Amino acid sequence: MKPSKFNSILSTFIFCYLFWIIFTWTFTSQELITGAIVSLLVAILTSRFFIHEDANYLFNPARFLNLVLYIFIFLMELWKANVDVAKRALSPSLPVNPGIVKVPTEVKSEYGLSMLANSITLTPGTITMEITEEDNKNYYYIHWIDVSEKDRTKAGEAIKGTLENWVRRIWK
Amino acid sequence: MYLVYILMAIGLFFAFAGTVGVLRMPDAYCRMQSSTNIATLGTLGALLGAFLYAIYLKNTGMAIKILFIAVFIIVTNPVAGHAICKAAYKRGVKAEKLTCDDYGRDFPNE
Repeated sequence: MKPSKFNSILSTFIFCYLFWIIFTWTFTSQELITGAIVSLLVAILTSRFFIHEDANYLFNPARFLNLVLYIFIFLMELWKANVDVAKRALSPSLPVNPGIVKVPTEVKSEYGLSMLANSITLTPGTITMEITEEDNKNYYYIHWIDVSEKDRTKAGEAIKGTLENWVRRIWK
Repeated sequence: MYLVYILMAIGLFFAFAGTVGVLRMPDAYCRMQSSTNIATLGTLGALLGAFLYAIYLKNTGMAIKILFIAVFIIVTNPVAGHAICKAAYKRGVKAEKLTCDDYGRDFPNE
């Protein structure tokens, strides 16, 4: 779905203005007006690079709540993976079993795909190398430090865990 | 206040484990894996500790800025990791004893 020009400029503008307010953290009218002008300029110039899909549906409260919940779920996963890799690095025998696996995913939206890819890269032990599209299905190539499953779908479950379902709840 | 110390200690521990991992892992890709260890819980632990300390000092602006440093690290770090990993692969950096290599199978000329 292609968003209208006005819509994409508006969402970029809101995003920029929010960051301006947070960074300056002063609420005099002078600062606010300057911020609005600068954000509008930036939004007009960059919205076509920044917005490829309709971003307004994040304002749906259920989706936004899911996004906030996702942060906590993700922190849990991050903790588990971190402890695992730290153990591997510190254990004397260095138990690594690396490999690159191809993993299918159900996520369709561009934002959802990049969000899931970034989450996978951030958890220690897995790095996303490439996303490809074949027959309307997206695949990740993931470098994995401990290949315990060579089968694609099972490896996908082991790597993505519950994260994918949460991402699908936020984006389409 | 003790929570700040605990969070800082967690950050330090994971930064230490990550550094040891970078030195000991067999090849470039595994080293990358270990370095994300530092970037995530190493910095996040320390930043969360600093965040709580800023709240303890009742300095809201500082607390929010620290939170945003954490957000930006989380958003930008995986992009760099992905780029480095793929560049290493395209340049032909050897990986030791790969169990399986689906990427090399599907794109043999890269």
